[in-house]
Amino acid sequence: MSCRMQGLLRASLAPVRRHAFRSPRRALATRGPFVPPLQQMQTGGIPMRQWPMEEDLEYEEEDPDSDSDEEVDKFGELIERGKPAPASPSFYSGRAAYYDQLAQVESAVNHTRSALKMLQLLPLPDFAREALPNRPAVWKTAKEMGADLQVSMTSSRYRAMTRLLGQLNEYYRIAFAAGCDDLALRTRNLLNIFESPAKTAALTRGRRKTLYTDQLGRSYTFGKRKTSTARVWMVPVALPSEELEVVDLEQVASLDEAAALLTSQPDRFHEPQLVPKSTILINNIPVGEYFAVPADRERVVRPLKMTGLLGAYNIFTLVRGGGSTGQSGALAHGIAKGLLVHNPDLGDLMRRTKLLRRDPRMVERKKPGRAKARKGYTWVKR
Amino acid sequence: MSALRACNNLRNSLRRVPRLARHISDSVDVESNDGPSVGDHVPRNFEDWSALQLRRAEVGTLIDIFSDYGSNRRQENAFRLRDSVRRPVANATVSSLLAAGAHLGHATSRMNPNFMPYAYGVRANSTVIDLDHTVPLLRRAANLVRAVAFEGGQILFIGTRPDLRKIVKTAAGRIGKQGYYISDRWIPGTLTNSSELFTPAVANEVEVRPDLVILLNPLSNITCIRECALTHIPTIGIIDSDADPRVVMYPIPANDESPQTAEIIAGILSIAGREGLALQMEDEVRVDEAIHQERDEEFWDALEREEHDPDILEEDAAEQRYEEEHGAELPIGRFDH
Repeated sequence: MSCRMQGLLRASLAPVRRHAFRSPRRALATRGPFVPPLQQMQTGGIPMRQWPMEEDLEYEEEDPDSDSDEEVDKFGELIERGKPAPASPSFYSGRAAYYDQLAQVESAVNHTRSALKMLQLLPLPDFAREALPNRPAVWKTAKEMGADLQVSMTSSRYRAMTRLLGQLNEYYRIAFAAGCDDLALRTRNLLNIFESPAKTAALTRGRRKTLYTDQLGRSYTFGKRKTSTARVWMVPVALPSEELEVVDLEQVASLDEAAALLTSQPDRFHEPQLVPKSTILINNIPVGEYFAVPADRERVVRPLKMTGLLGAYNIFTLVRGGGSTGQSGALAHGIAKGLLVHNPDLGDLMRRTKLLRRDPRMVERKKPGRAKARKGYTWVKR
Repeated sequence: MSALRACNNLRNSLRRVPRLARHISDSVDVESNDGPSVGDHVPRNFEDWSALQLRRAEVGTLIDIFSDYGSNRRQENAFRLRDSVRRPVANATVSSLLAAGAHLGHATSRMNPNFMPYAYGVRANSTVIDLDHTVPLLRRAANLVRAVAFEGGQILFIGTRPDLRKIVKTAAGRIGKQGYYISDRWIPGTLTNSSELFTPAVANEVEVRPDLVILLNPLSNITCIRECALTHIPTIGIIDSDADPRVVMYPIPANDESPQTAEIIAGILSIAGREGLALQMEDEVRVDEAIHQERDEEFWDALEREEHDPDILEEDAAEQRYEEEHGAELPIGRFDH
């Protein structure tokens, strides 16, 4: 470094007092005093304070032993010793991550809105809005979002964030339905950051388990009443095929042939049955044997009678707990559900007749001060 | 066909767009049903809606085609409602401040006696602020912002009301890396207790200290003003008639409750900051060029000296030893004439 440049450096350091805020660069006094451009137009009137120019300054002797506060690199520039400035513009709010994220989502909302307006998809008429495919959104909880952004997420902040996210979700629905793939993809990517990982679980909570028939056509359902439980398997009765030719006994040649036919094709020895025949087994016992009381039998068969499917299904059940009324009620519940599995169109009818309702009536408990649940002790005058 | 008809109508009627659209639909024949136009009933099915979209696009195209002809009115020479947040004015005038309601102070009973120099008078029991004082003070504040931005200082905009949120955000954005904003709440201890608030690691790593603080609602942020005073940070603030102008270093007497006033003031200050950044860049370029020029001059000077007097050339020890062993050689690039 030349002597002249070093001299300039010393000169710039010596008379200039250190300011309250750090100047990040430039030791060279090649610039004059800072004059605002607007005031540069005004000459005269206000006398400007004359700053010392290069020629007026006294150069100090080079003192290699002196400790200077500022280090200078070979190009004569100050090496910045101070700390760097904060990166985020919302640093001084104390929750920079949250405010930056909020600003990002807000700008995404604004850009998506203007894009949709340009595509003439906003404002959307009511009929189109109702026809949009449903896309319920389940956002992360306040705690989860707070953990992501490493800030404490209060309810007001969470509300502000979810309001913006809901708006963005609406725009995503419109973009997706309209086939704007690029816009929809970008919006979806941003929304996925905030969506709860347990979304499917949350949406299906409270919904009934889907009932189905297995590969052999059997349905398995469950019924309850009072303290009884019934497990019900139902399979449709196979109707005999009408192409079967009824055997004409006068044309059969010999007795042996008749015996052979009887064992192999017993169905051909009588007229085809038009009324299907079915069996109901309860704990492997036919229903007539299991329930002695006709009321219980009626109760079991009621769902089949209501839907007109009395002989259509072979039913095998296992029932446990309670007494005859409870067990018959549980069976009825299970059979009704099984009928719904095989015939989903009957849902409306069954709901109207309340066959699918699990009867909530249970035995009421005995209370202190009473002989039974409701019965009181004999009132005594004295 | 409908476009031709529209051209005819345009020639006949010099009307603004919505009426033009209705004119088109009015003059349409009964047989050709062009569908609904802008301003008609809300579309009720897809045909209506697509017809509406097509019509809108048609009108837009017509405007684009014909805007080169006809009137000479342009954005520059016509009145246009201005978005003062996104594109603010660079200089304030008394009339623009009046239009924004910057002269409306609070009730006379609440006037701070120290505000007297900036008060114009009283009207309907409220103080009227003298805008002839506001304009030069605003200019002074703008000069300060420009200077601080030029020197590379951190500028912090504070507006803690919901309507000020967007204003401070855009204002800070104009100042680039040196602009910061607070739109929610000033946390007490930001400056006096920064190691607690920002964790010791962050406080040691980063300079937690703005070089200039601009308050759009100083009365709600007295804590901030106090902390700035304790830590010797200059402040600019919009001072209303119920505030003491001495709390901030550079008061700007104006209505602090009007968002339009805040837009104008924040816009002017942030544009001044942006000018400061531009000046900084220009200056850097100038300094860089000066340095390069110096170095170039030195190089050519040294080369000249070497040509005239080769003995002055300093050789290092290794080269000298080599020359002793192998004899002096011509330097690379030098030709004996």
